Amino acid sequence: MSKFLRLFMFAGCVLAAQPVEARPVSYPGGTTIITENNGDMNSLLVHYTFDGKTALGIKGEYWRDMAFGFTGLQLNYLAKRWNNADSQANLYLKGGVGGAYSDYGAFDHEVEPAGFAGVAADWEDRRFFVSYENRYTEAGDIADFYMQSARVGVAPYIGEYGDLHTWLMVQVDHKPEAEDHVTVTPLVRFFKDVHLVEAGMNNHGELLFNWIIRY
Amino acid sequence: MKKVFLVLGAAFTLLPVQAYAGETVKVHVNGLVCDFCARAIEKVFKKQESVESINVNLSDKLITLGLKDGQALEDDVITKLVNDSGYALVSIERAEEGQDGTAQ
Repeated sequence: MSKFLRLFMFAGCVLAAQPVEARPVSYPGGTTIITENNGDMNSLLVHYTFDGKTALGIKGEYWRDMAFGFTGLQLNYLAKRWNNADSQANLYLKGGVGGAYSDYGAFDHEVEPAGFAGVAADWEDRRFFVSYENRYTEAGDIADFYMQSARVGVAPYIGEYGDLHTWLMVQVDHKPEAEDHVTVTPLVRFFKDVHLVEAGMNNHGELLFNWIIRY
Repeated sequence: MKKVFLVLGAAFTLLPVQAYAGETVKVHVNGLVCDFCARAIEKVFKKQESVESINVNLSDKLITLGLKDGQALEDDVITKLVNDSGYALVSIERAEEGQDGTAQ
């Protein structure tokens, strides 16, 4: 594998943590930058929303335990939105295609076509938040795995538009093939202007840091 | 005679303000629950040439649009913009600035 290709694959894998991506689809013409980082992985996604239902982006992620990276295109599709007077619920389909690069043992330097697919759902009002997301990843000989995640959150106060919004959340991750099948991560979410920042620590002492910027 | 000219001058100065005052449009929307929602609405409406100002009130689920003098924004355009932003229109109220402020 050429140094250039390796560098390119790694460059896409700067950041990670799969199950957050608050609002995977923005408004028409909106650009969103999402970096997710936790005990398992780091990821970076930059996506552009075309019509309020479809967002296409470039994604890079690196899974530290499995020692592989993925770089490719990700498509998020808003399959259904329920707009109620005081709440909103969403159902999203997500998928990605690209290449995986391994840093691990016998597979070191191996490159395989890779992809992933999943479903995400959320419901929120201005006080409470609930979400669920799953994902199956296939990367040939390098890796294939399933994961799912759920969150609940509560806002300790109700802010108006433009205020600093704060959410206290708990995220539960289930990865059947991981050494620790289930992890629990209490976290705090701050929301101000175009920035959404999340920080937490799971029950194994691993840090979570997510940052979303939406233009 | 001077007084007559002064009164007429004042009247002509005030008339155009009354005739071309910007319209205020109140748009009630479902699904506005967070800052990202409000920001999306703001970004989409600010692209409209006729929109002078916009205020989003999350508590009242209300978007208040101030239109530029002599400009209009039709109901079907507002409906499309709200829907394209990902939200659901409930109702539209219109009031001319400088008048009694009641919905028309």
